[in-house]
Amino acid sequence: MTSRWTKRWRLRKFVADYGVYIALTILMLAAALLTPKLFAVDTIAVVMRQASQLGIVAIGQTLVLLVAGLDLSVGGIFIMTSVVVAEVGNGRDEMIAPAILSALALGALVGLGNGLLVTKRRVPPFVATLGMLVLVKGATQAYTRGVPGGFVPEALGIVNQSWFVLSVPLALWLGLNALFIFVLRGTSYGRRVYAVGSNIEAARLSGIPVDAIRISVYVLGSLFAVVSGVVLTGYVLYVDRFIGSGLDLDSIAAAVVGGTAFIGGRGGLLGTIAGVLIIQILSTMVVLLGLDVEVQFIIKGLVILGAVMLYSVAAPES
Amino acid sequence: MSEPILEMRGISKSFAGVRALRDVSFRCQAGLVYGLVGENGAGKSTLMKILAGAYKADAGAIIYKGRPRHAASTGEIIASGISIIYQELALVPQMSAAENIFLGREPRNAIGILDLGQLHARSQELLSRLGVALDTRLPVGELTIAQQQLVEIAKALSQDADLIVMDEPSAILAGSELDQLFDIIAALKAQGVTIVYISHRLEEVFRIADEVTVLKDGEVVDSRPIGQLDRHTLVRSMVGRSLDEVFPQTDHEQGDLVLAAEDIATDTILDGVSLRLHAGEILGIAGMVGSGRTELARALFGADPLTRGEVRLAGKSLQWQTPSQAIRAGVALVPEDRKSQGLFTALSVRNNITISILSRISRLGILRRGQEDKVVSAARQRLSIVMTSPEQETQTLSGGNQQKVVLAKWLETAPAVIILDEPTRGVDVGAKFEIYKLMRQLNDRGLAIIMISSELPEIIGMSDRILVMNGGRVAGELAGEAVDEERIIKLATLGGAEAQSA
Repeated sequence: MTSRWTKRWRLRKFVADYGVYIALTILMLAAALLTPKLFAVDTIAVVMRQASQLGIVAIGQTLVLLVAGLDLSVGGIFIMTSVVVAEVGNGRDEMIAPAILSALALGALVGLGNGLLVTKRRVPPFVATLGMLVLVKGATQAYTRGVPGGFVPEALGIVNQSWFVLSVPLALWLGLNALFIFVLRGTSYGRRVYAVGSNIEAARLSGIPVDAIRISVYVLGSLFAVVSGVVLTGYVLYVDRFIGSGLDLDSIAAAVVGGTAFIGGRGGLLGTIAGVLIIQILSTMVVLLGLDVEVQFIIKGLVILGAVMLYSVAAPES
Repeated sequence: MSEPILEMRGISKSFAGVRALRDVSFRCQAGLVYGLVGENGAGKSTLMKILAGAYKADAGAIIYKGRPRHAASTGEIIASGISIIYQELALVPQMSAAENIFLGREPRNAIGILDLGQLHARSQELLSRLGVALDTRLPVGELTIAQQQLVEIAKALSQDADLIVMDEPSAILAGSELDQLFDIIAALKAQGVTIVYISHRLEEVFRIADEVTVLKDGEVVDSRPIGQLDRHTLVRSMVGRSLDEVFPQTDHEQGDLVLAAEDIATDTILDGVSLRLHAGEILGIAGMVGSGRTELARALFGADPLTRGEVRLAGKSLQWQTPSQAIRAGVALVPEDRKSQGLFTALSVRNNITISILSRISRLGILRRGQEDKVVSAARQRLSIVMTSPEQETQTLSGGNQQKVVLAKWLETAPAVIILDEPTRGVDVGAKFEIYKLMRQLNDRGLAIIMISSELPEIIGMSDRILVMNGGRVAGELAGEAVDEERIIKLATLGGAEAQSA
């Protein structure tokens, strides 16, 4: 027997599971009609390079969202990474490795700070990571006095290498996705991440080291932001106080559009990949159509609201 | 006989292709108390949600106060005089009792400003109709659950309810609170209010109902005045099994001392409890909600750190700081509140069952699916968990199957001691019976069980010994011939010393 309710229920499940991929397909069809230039090899290469930039941060953001957290501090980490790479590297190619390692170490510290605030001090993630964002930005500016010194080593430009569409950032993005899709699905750690996000009290009573898992996820979130920051710095090859602005909120948007729930425990990286592509294609289409950049924000906003509305319709009846 | 105040005729309802109600008819005369009984999943709550307008029936008609009722919003239905008090109370904890009672309908003075004097005076008046005294200024969050329930009832009265549905009101009450609820129901009945009382505890239905309707698998299987019923026929029509078969008997031998606690206390109400538990034994813990039963379980499991005393497992002294240490030592806790503490509702059956033994089924942190499949299918068979596949989300399982999944998770840790806190709450009678059978099997294999329960027949039927708690301490221990309901209630309500002198 198929009642109306059944049909609605199936529709909900369908939307929750496949909605984002359908949306991506429709968007690509629309692009084929409106902006066929999008499918030129050069354009695809640019879109994918930018998508990788966003996508790498979004992996970390997805992990944090899965434990019912949120990381606003990634924006600060981009700037910090750029400054550290320039200061430590200071134009010398042999200093690239120490520069990147220093940025990763500092990033890990920021993530640890986020994690400790959220777990040990029980600060809500929004407030903790917002505070950390302001702190990291402030510290970076105080250190540079507003005028960043040093030079980005030329050799970091290697990130601009590409083989047809496959650029270094894209390879990084795909590789990290493959690795972390496996971590989430095929390892104990991944299972524990979902368990903590799904029901923290049950996780604690099941013997899961809940705080350690949450802290580790914040550290990973920061490390992904550092990696993305290094790629971005290599791309522009100079230090910029506004580097990567917008990527922080876009990373949250990509994960949410991709079906990762704000309340934790639901979602995953495949959805986030689709979310990243949707956001990036939309941005590019706006440019190709010759519309103002403001229109880009309006469209982005509508897409995010639309996705959230769809998922709330798709959520199980309480 | 006068016209019925409510008549539900031929109600049918399906969810996702599963039939929840089939051609159900239910009628109420004004001023009587109706018991609506049946196993979990029998359709009681669905029927009442249709009455409340929360669900729409697929077929059937509702005639209320002599007029057919058509599709209406829940607000209109409340205004028409039907109030439903759900198990999970719908109050705003930060607001006072009075503010909750008149939420959205606050009395105002001539210029439209909130009239606090009126608000409290009218709330007091409603509460006195119920024969209770309560400070209406206190935030509801600071009241006991029983008092919160009273606030809900007062709220229903403030809406001039002629028909009040109480969905398993006793599930959250204990002892004297229940008596108070029954007094209130009697008072409401005397004032001409019709009550529909949903429960699966038959003793209560026999105490207060004038007429009983039994639902089974979405159909009415019996409906008649209470005088024409006895417990045996009622149970048989509910489950198709008689009462004697509910508690499986066994004659296992009692084994060695496994767990001993000496004067343990934590930062909670728990204040100096000692107990001894043997292999193959079921130790029942009785007592009212808030007597320290759950806190005892948490202390034995390392969920709350001990502030004094000692726990010994197989002779070794343990200082547990975290549940994971307790789990490794061989203690398991099936917590009282399944949804908030036991189950990962958004995760699959598979992920739930193996979450505590991930290290056993993985190598270098990488899961071995083959091993996991074996564990899951063995657990599924052993506990006869009904599911479509191991990937099914546990929130879509019935209460009984959810509880089996939680039990399966803990049995996988191969515990020597398993603590069950209200193991059959929110579980239908059929699954209850299976859980009892499982407990006996575990006993026979030498597992020691501590069972906390509010249901006296369950405690008495299953336990080898019973500890009764009161105010964070053990008020008394009963075993063998000494076990009877009255003694347990006395110890639970009065405490050890007073119960003896009483």
